[in-house]
Order: sequence, then C-alpha cells, then structure tokens
Amino acid sequence: MTFAEALRANQSMVFSLAYHFLRDRGAAEEVAQDVFLRLYRKMDDLESAKHVTFWLRKATSHRCIDYVRKRASRRTIALEDTAEPPAVDQQGDPLLNRRLRQLIATLPEKPRMAMVLRYQEDLTPEEISDVLEMPVRTVKSHLQRSLAILREKIERSMGDIR
Amino acid sequence: MIKIALITCIVFAPLGAQEIKLPPNLDRLAAKATEVVDVTMDANLLQLASRFLSDKDPDDAHVKKIVGGLKGIYVRSFEFEKPGEYQESDIDSVRTQLHTPAWSRIVGVRSLKSGENSEVYLKTENGKIGGLAILVTEPKQLTIVSIEGTIDPDQLNELGGHFGIPKVDTRKETGHGKDQ
Amino acid sequence: MEDFERQLKYALARKPEPPAFEAKALAAIAAAKPERRMLWRWDALAASVLIAAGLWAQHQHGLSERAAGEAAKARLELALKITVTELSKIQKTVRTSTEDE
Repeated sequence: MTFAEALRANQSMVFSLAYHFLRDRGAAEEVAQDVFLRLYRKMDDLESAKHVTFWLRKATSHRCIDYVRKRASRRTIALEDTAEPPAVDQQGDPLLNRRLRQLIATLPEKPRMAMVLRYQEDLTPEEISDVLEMPVRTVKSHLQRSLAILREKIERSMGDIR
Repeated sequence: MIKIALITCIVFAPLGAQEIKLPPNLDRLAAKATEVVDVTMDANLLQLASRFLSDKDPDDAHVKKIVGGLKGIYVRSFEFEKPGEYQESDIDSVRTQLHTPAWSRIVGVRSLKSGENSEVYLKTENGKIGGLAILVTEPKQLTIVSIEGTIDPDQLNELGGHFGIPKVDTRKETGHGKDQ
Repeated sequence: MEDFERQLKYALARKPEPPAFEAKALAAIAAAKPERRMLWRWDALAASVLIAAGLWAQHQHGLSERAAGEAAKARLELALKITVTELSKIQKTVRTSTEDE
C-alpha cells in the first residue's frame, strides 16, 4: 500500500475520530494532518493495510488525548459554537444526535475515546484495549459507565429513549 | 469567528507561459475568502503528476490519458462568507482574454434567481480543442478554471463517478411530462 | 444492539474530511524539511560515517521526490474534480432549462 492510498482510504476515519473527540473542526484537521505526517515517516515499518489502519487509530487516539491535555481544559461545547460537518448519510434524530455528541464531549478523555472507537469504528472492547493500551476490563468499565451517564443525561434533557 | 482555510497548493516548478493570464488582483480576494483553492500546474508539474499515475489502475490510466495532451491546468476558486466580496470587474481581464477569435463561448447560463452566471469557453486550433475555460460567478463563490492543451471534453465527463467526482448524468430528466 | 446504542452509532457516524484534506496533507509532507542526522564523530570511523550520511541523503532525496510527485497527483485530481463538478452543474442547468421550454 502506498502512502497516498493509505491517506485516501483512511482520511475520513482519522478526521472523524478527531472531530468526534475534540468537537472542534479546526483542531480535528490539525490533529489529522499531524497524524498523517507521522504516518508518512512510519510507512516503511507498516506491513499491511490493516496494520496501517490500526496504527492510525492508535496514533489519532493518543494524539487527541495529548491535544486535550495540553489545552488543559474540558469545556462543554454549546450548540451554537460548532459548525457541524455534514455526515455522509444522516440517520436518526438529528437533534438527538447532536445532543449525544455534545454529551460525549464532556466525558473524561479515555472513556470518551473508548466510546468514539466503539460507536464510530465498531471496535470490540479487546480491539479498543489494543488501541488505547489499557486493560480490557478497564475499557469495558469505561464503556458501561459512559453509557449509563449518557443515558441518564439524555433522559433528563430530552425524555426517555428506548 | 471567520476561519480562513487556505488550501494553497505549493508550486514546485517555475511557471511556464500561461495562455490565460490570471489577474494578480485575485490574490487580494484570497484574503477575503473563507476558503480558497489555488492550483497551478504547468507542463512540468503535470508530467511529474503523470509519473505517479499507475497504468494498472483504471482511474489513474484514464486521468493519464487526459493529462497526456495538456500544457497546463489553473484553478482559482474562492468561497466567501457573504455576497459582495468580489466584483465582476475582478475578472474582466479574464473575460477580455476569452473574447478573442481563438476562443468561443459555447455555454452561457445565467440564473436571476440564484445570481449564478456560468460560462464555458473552448479554444480551437486547427480544428482541435486546444483549451477549455470555465467561469462561474455566484454571489458567494467565484471559480475560474483554465485548461491549456489538447483536451477532449467527453474524456472529462468520463471521470464522473471516480475520485469523488460526481457522475455526469447524461440521461434526460424524467417526470416533466416530456419525451424520454 | 439496543436502541440507545444504535442512536450512539448514528450520532458518531463518520464525518467526511474537509475539502482538499488529501492535497493539503501531501503538500505538507512535501514542504516538511527532511530530518538529517548530524553525526560529529571525528575518529578512525569518520570515513564510514560520511559514507553513511551520503547514503542517507540519497534516500531522503528519493522520499522528497516521491512526496512531490504524490502531491502533484493530488493537486491534479483536485483540479479535475473541480472542473468536472462545474461542468456537470452547468450541463444539468442547461438540460433543465431546455426541458422547461
């Protein structure tokens, strides 16, 4: 796989991971560009397309978490602040979707990234554990607790969701 | 907050003689635009790009065929936050160059509703198409495309559906009570 | 998967990358200065160090050329994409107005 092929195949995934985590389009693009620059330097060490994707998920996750820690602030993004990039196929209730994304952005970094990897990328807890380099039971705990917190907050703000 | 996403593409080779001279005042528009696409590819850069197009990939091979006869591709596209950020006079000099015997305006579409004005020009040399120019002016967007060299518009159409380029629908529209 | 988790999947559906992301990434790579390892060992191994540095520079030049080529290819695709998109819009407008007559 050439670098250009890797870029084309994975740019949406990388940008999207960063965007859902950071909720800031400019920051997401900055992180994504940085990740691909690093990929370029690493390319010769990666053996397959699958390896590249794994490496990118890992690099993006860690880079996002570092970015937030350096910024040293975790703020709730108000509805008016972000211009949402459009999803490719809009599904579900757009208002609910937006509210969920806002709430996810208030989670602590590692649980937040675990949730994004789980629900954007459909990764299993074991795969998330490899990407985030944390024990599987910690990943499962993050996911369970985050689900509970989000469900409670959504029910309080928008009513019961089944 | 206005974010300016400047998509400026770096030119590696010195500019060759450009047939349609894009006016320098377009650079001033870049400062006012929220998004800018600036592509300048002379024959050297096109050749370089062509070397990285794979003959084995059908999409790449098709693009390689198109690029084979080209001498240059120049694109300036500006998106503005609000109308009125540019004037028609900003592109007068481009229109003047296109109103010469070598160039023919083959399409002119104006929409009073949307304020969009689109023009397509072809340059003919010895019975062959030697250039293509597109001018699109909208209230919040300005796009100028200049392609120099031997070009087949049908080959361009065939790019639709690849590289994220929308497929050009050549079927007639239905549902208007007209013939199919 | 329960409804709430399905909602989360919808909410976290992938977003498309910004326009010209690919071209910007390739241009950034082409513009990045290649790393150079500066080795300052002036002992009996100095000759082999200089040979290694020369081979490294040759390798880096190859990488730069590849990056420049990929960047050029990306710009070409972007230019063609804009051209065909605009032509397609114009064709559609002409076709629509012809049928309305």
